[in-house]
Amino acid sequence: MKAIRLSFIQMAVTMRRDVMLFASCLTPLLAGFLFRFAVPFFETVLTDYFHLPAVISPYYGLIDLFFAMLSPTMFCFVSAMVALEEADEKTAAYLFITPLGKAGYLSARFGVPAASAFLVTLILLPFFKLTPLPPTAMLLLAAGGTLQGIIISLLILTLSSNKLEGMAVTKLSALTLFGAVIPFFVKDDIQYILSALPSFWIGKAVHDHILVNMLPAFALSAVWICLLSKRYLRKM
Amino acid sequence: MIQVSNLSFSYTKQPFISDMSFSVSPGEIFGFLGPSGAGKSTLQKILIGMLRTYQGSAMVNGVECKKRTKRFYENIGVDFEFSTMYEKLTARENLQFFSSLYEKKPRPIDELLEKAGLARDADKRVADYSKGMKSRLNFIKALLHDPLLLCLDEPTSGLDPANSRTMKDMILEEKAKGKTILLTTHNMQDATELCDRVAFIAGGKICALDSPHNLIMSKGAAAVTYTWMENGERSASCPLKHLSSDKRLKDLIENNRLQSIHSSEPTLNDIFMDITGRTLL
Repeated sequence: MKAIRLSFIQMAVTMRRDVMLFASCLTPLLAGFLFRFAVPFFETVLTDYFHLPAVISPYYGLIDLFFAMLSPTMFCFVSAMVALEEADEKTAAYLFITPLGKAGYLSARFGVPAASAFLVTLILLPFFKLTPLPPTAMLLLAAGGTLQGIIISLLILTLSSNKLEGMAVTKLSALTLFGAVIPFFVKDDIQYILSALPSFWIGKAVHDHILVNMLPAFALSAVWICLLSKRYLRKM
Repeated sequence: MIQVSNLSFSYTKQPFISDMSFSVSPGEIFGFLGPSGAGKSTLQKILIGMLRTYQGSAMVNGVECKKRTKRFYENIGVDFEFSTMYEKLTARENLQFFSSLYEKKPRPIDELLEKAGLARDADKRVADYSKGMKSRLNFIKALLHDPLLLCLDEPTSGLDPANSRTMKDMILEEKAKGKTILLTTHNMQDATELCDRVAFIAGGKICALDSPHNLIMSKGAAAVTYTWMENGERSASCPLKHLSSDKRLKDLIENNRLQSIHSSEPTLNDIFMDITGRTLL
């Protein structure tokens, strides 16, 4: 545990010295204020302007869902960038042959940041949510978002070999979040074309107000994480 | 300290290391010599627990490498050929971080930096270090937790003669303290000077294993080559042990007709070529 804690602190030091990574960690807070205060303001402006009962509000659930995935995505993105830098500098390979080991390294780089993101989401979501989400829903959304964040970080690590490539792959990996949008806009069965994405089932759970839909999201996340972890470890 | 029996390993269906057996005693400097791709680094990776899908047995400090736990690394120090430092951190910060991962009390960082000639640059970012400085820093990182076994991969590679000397002295100092040292190299001078025993590795097999002195002697004694003028420059050689019976040489010496004379001893590279038909480089 001591080695994992120290290795995580080391990552925090690296992050503090990199403006881009540090700013990424503050994004959820800034986005939270924007979602909570600016979105309802624009909704009022738009409904008044178009004389419509609702413009953005039918999608408030989708905004909450994205907010739940934002902290994990950002925290895990930062971890992935640090891990890529460590792979470049070969420090990761060295850490594997210290008492930290591979499992300790993965815990320090993905486990601890993901757990932190889960807690941050649980703290921020009640303040910034736009819909009346019950505590169980918030808990499940935070968990689903965290798993999604881990998937994104593993995608970045397996598909890129340096920080520059990592930035490009981040955009590609973020497309896996797109599945959440589908249940809100595609009503036919064709929506199931993206059912292999955990985010699709999270979106479906929020859209249909059926929390049991989170179960396929968790199961699929486990499969994605398992396959990507194996590939990442093979690559290392 | 190390006991390897019938060790085999492969990355593909083709065997890469086949049926290796050897042992290394505590306090010994044991060298793996061989050309690139011979299996030296793979063997080292097995011994430090990085590759665990091998057949046979590889015991280090009484632990089967494939069953190693975190504690296994408390007594192993590894110096890779490449830098394994955080480039944005200073040398001191790097050493402080890596030493903190071990349960053991670390060796004094300033003392190690001083020995490696890096004391003045201790607070400089590693990114600003030269290749030689990074190499020395990498080496002292492996010593931080005072391990019983040191695995050194080309420790003098890229160093100037003075720093190479410093590094070799530090290695010998560790040996004097009773540390076991595995040296992977294709530098025959380093191996001859530092190793108690060397194993020649080619094609994933140990082709020969003995002390550098015994291996050199096995090829036969050194030879003496001399030149003289007789219708242009001419030269001849004779084995050192038959020198007194070389009448021509005697005659040339008595008549002061020698142009040059020098002895040449076989090197480990010569022996390696003899045994494997390949060079070390």
